[in-house]
Amino acid sequence: MAITTATIDITSTDLGISLNASTNLSKTGTSTGLEIMDAGYGEVTVAHGGKALLEASAVSGDRDTSNYFYLSNKATDETYYLIVKIHDQIVGRLSAGDWMFMPWSQGDDAAEISITATNGTCAYEYAVFKSAYTLVDRTA
Amino acid sequence: MATITANITLNSDITNHTISESMTMRKLGTTTGLDNATGIALKKFTSTSAVVVVEQDEVTDSKASKVYMRNSGSSKEDFFYVAINASAAAAATTETIGRLYGGDWMLIPYEGAVNLTVAPSTASDMTLEYGLFYE
Repeated sequence: MAITTATIDITSTDLGISLNASTNLSKTGTSTGLEIMDAGYGEVTVAHGGKALLEASAVSGDRDTSNYFYLSNKATDETYYLIVKIHDQIVGRLSAGDWMFMPWSQGDDAAEISITATNGTCAYEYAVFKSAYTLVDRTA
Repeated sequence: MATITANITLNSDITNHTISESMTMRKLGTTTGLDNATGIALKKFTSTSAVVVVEQDEVTDSKASKVYMRNSGSSKEDFFYVAINASAAAAATTETIGRLYGGDWMLIPYEGAVNLTVAPSTASDMTLEYGLFYE
């Protein structure tokens, strides 16, 4: 069994905030660790428009509801940010140097995660932690 | 200007690749730090009814707001649905972000155009820890 640990700390001496949390990422409804990590780097430009980074279940065949998604905007210009969407709903705007981490339920057809660069070229790093991939039929 | 720093480490024995990043929360398109935070709140749930925990009118739309949530329980069977939806959070709700099982946390940018709602998977006592950071 693999062990994947996600740790966060948020601090602000100005605002009096200090928290730390850690969790082991597990398969749906169990304490068994996830076994698949899909990670990579890429670039999107304004000219690309919106691009699907992770597909909805109707496309991929996967219906795992206990996935975890990480995304980091590697741009260095503060005016370059990524708009992150689930289906047609904007989750938020990820500024240069920012990261996000969230559970991702691929259990319905509206689960597609897409990104859009708002300025220039945004390099990004992503990772998805899953319990399984469903292989699709071969084409020939 | 305040300084709010968030660090993440994703450590896995699936590969030798460890993700470790640090960010300073800044106003959109600037190098100026976010000024406001609600603080970290705790909310106890005793039913499976969906509840809005972050209202869209708490922040200005289309900025660099961020939301932190954590299921402070330990059960890996019980979870919170989390959704970007005005009034509902469940498996079939558009758009369900995902499930926060015991101990799980999330930190996401927040557009501020639609409420964030959660709904427990069980009527047993569950507690959500959450906070909002905004311009």
